[in-house]
Amino acid sequence: MITLPLLANGPVIPNFGAGSTCETENHFFCTGWVADHWSDTLQPALLQHIKLAAIAVAIGFVLAFAAALVAYRYRRADQPIGLLSDFLYTIPSLALFQLLVPLTGLSVTTVEIALVSYTLLILYRNILEGLRGVPAEVRESARGMGLTRLQSLVRVELPLAVPSIMAGLRIATVSTISIATIAAFVIPEGLGRPIFIGIGQDVFKTEIIAAGGLAILLALAADALLVLLGRALTPWRNA
Amino acid sequence: MIRLLADSFSWGTFPDAIRFIADNPGLLWHKSVQHMELSGAAIGIALLLALPLGVVLGHLRRGSFVAISVSNLGRALPSLVLIAFALFVSGHFFVNNMAALVVLGVPPILTNAYFGIEDVDRNIVEAARGMGMSGRDILFRIELPLALPLIIAGIRIAAVFIIATATIAAVAGGGGLGDVIVNQATYHLSGVVGASLVVSLLAFGAALLLALVRKLLTRPYVSAD
Amino acid sequence: MVRKHARRAVKAAFAVALAIPIVLGGTANAGTTASPTITVGTKNFTEAFVLGQLYKQALEAKGFKVGYKENIGSSELIDTALTSGKINFYPEYTGVLALNIAHVKKAPKTAAATYAAAKAFEEKRGYTMLKQTPFFDADSFTVLTKTAKKYGLTKISDLKKVSNLSYAGYPECDKRITCLLGLKQIYGLKNIKFVQLGTIPVTKLIDSGKVIGGDVFTTEPALANPKYTALIDDKHIYGFQNVAPVVSKKVVSAYGAKFTNAVNALSAKLTNKAMIAMNKAVAVDKKTPAAVAKAFLQANGLA
Repeated sequence: MITLPLLANGPVIPNFGAGSTCETENHFFCTGWVADHWSDTLQPALLQHIKLAAIAVAIGFVLAFAAALVAYRYRRADQPIGLLSDFLYTIPSLALFQLLVPLTGLSVTTVEIALVSYTLLILYRNILEGLRGVPAEVRESARGMGLTRLQSLVRVELPLAVPSIMAGLRIATVSTISIATIAAFVIPEGLGRPIFIGIGQDVFKTEIIAAGGLAILLALAADALLVLLGRALTPWRNA
Repeated sequence: MIRLLADSFSWGTFPDAIRFIADNPGLLWHKSVQHMELSGAAIGIALLLALPLGVVLGHLRRGSFVAISVSNLGRALPSLVLIAFALFVSGHFFVNNMAALVVLGVPPILTNAYFGIEDVDRNIVEAARGMGMSGRDILFRIELPLALPLIIAGIRIAAVFIIATATIAAVAGGGGLGDVIVNQATYHLSGVVGASLVVSLLAFGAALLLALVRKLLTRPYVSAD
Repeated sequence: MVRKHARRAVKAAFAVALAIPIVLGGTANAGTTASPTITVGTKNFTEAFVLGQLYKQALEAKGFKVGYKENIGSSELIDTALTSGKINFYPEYTGVLALNIAHVKKAPKTAAATYAAAKAFEEKRGYTMLKQTPFFDADSFTVLTKTAKKYGLTKISDLKKVSNLSYAGYPECDKRITCLLGLKQIYGLKNIKFVQLGTIPVTKLIDSGKVIGGDVFTTEPALANPKYTALIDDKHIYGFQNVAPVVSKKVVSAYGAKFTNAVNALSAKLTNKAMIAMNKAVAVDKKTPAAVAKAFLQANGLA
């Protein structure tokens, strides 16, 4: 029998590996999938998410701090800044993202501007209220001791405002981590992305639960860390 | 060479968005109604669940830990995550999304109701008790009126948040203005921006409405502000 | 005193001697214009992610540096990304390009004609299309097999028998002659109701009975399931939909044959069977598009 040589024209289709029954039948939670896809899907998304949130909180803090100092010094500045804040906060996050897209495109910039806006509002309010909460007598005795305005601010008023600032930082950080999931509408980054992919893949529960769970855990962990930080910065409260 | 006009990133999109709103009143009305149906139902149920609970707990001065934890947890729950989780609940999109929105709306209402009542000056309450007022009377005639600003603030936060999150419910079949906002392919950037403006107005309107309610309800009383 | 000056002079001369070749070397390089980065873009569904990864990794294996912009959106959106320079390479379906973007008047009657029309359109704009793939992925009118049995449906023309007809399609469908408009005008299904697809998968909508039929792509793993039947497109409204990479002419001229050969070698291997297997690996077996692409390329000596 003459065997003709096979003409290898078609492609070789390798075995990609069948999914476990848990995966193909979309059971509630497949730990196997999470283990397999931690480094290629979940971890990158988590790191991107942390980065997005961290940048937003950092920039928001700096801007809020500056604005609060201005409003603290010049009382009249509070009204317009406050009104702008309240107004921005009413805009639904997804809407804010989409309103920015015509200006800054489908980019990280758009996401960061929106996230920073939301952090700004919370932080500004809390920093200002913290500073305002310093009793007048304390401020006066500081001046009486010969401290300049700046020295009083740095050595007396700000430290006393720390609890309020930390409270604001906690709320802002947790909120930012939450809202950052929506960044996936604009750029394929952050923990929102695996959630979207999961929904699109016939509502693949494991991916949604894993990414969603990570987002919640991240927020709670950040909150706990900030509580600890707050306690460390105000030792006199726990004395 | 006819081809769809490219949506360029520019300031020009905003007048286009206004034009979209003007050109599509029927669509936007229909979507807004859908949006408010979902939001309204969620706000209503959240109120039913959280308001009595928060008020009673605050009156009894029990469960402050619960109130605070609920508030913290509520903030840590990303809205998109809840909407996605809700997809597992049932086969009905409206029910799923409403469940998610209720979960998101309960914390602010509960926490503010609790602290609003609890924060009422103890001296006033003691004086009232001394005068022989029953617990019920104290609650309805003293604590609630004084707590009203904070309670309504909580409802306002919940309402704005629910209306905002209902936008995202579109990805889970929730309908509403989100259907336009997540759908640039059909409605183009002008539509997306237009619908974003409309939903912002809705949220703003709800906030204003509740501010008005607060003004009306607290005028006869000395507020604890 | 003289020695100090002499030392300074030597140092200066040394510095100059060192600087001259550096500066000359620098200016020599500055003379050549930088080559354009290849930026691959993808649409927003499973097959698009797989195709994107395939082309990206195949090019990287040949030493090219590739930027990657995933999940841009539908044809209209990705075309905008192309013309605004955000990407310069993306895999497109020939029929979609010819009929929906180029708005060719008479629908081409063969796959080759469709490709030619699409290519001609792009070449007028400063782009070109490389060789098309053997596989095609067209829209479909898919129903539950039991629905097909109930009404005796084998082809789309049979749908005239069904009252209360509804169809779930992707957002751009209701404006396309290759989709809803074709169903209405060419098949005469005037009263068909259109339900827009969002993130909920079309198969879920068909299962739930919310729609009679939906647009399941012909290379989607769902069609391998006997539960669903894709009706025959007897009037060919869905067109011919092979895939061919749209590339900017600048990229082709900058990188030449090494680039085009790498791309075409990959395209030649993308058969229907291969795509269905890869789509299934991602959608059903939950593998990542990147891993699936890598396995395929390695198995075929392309990476």
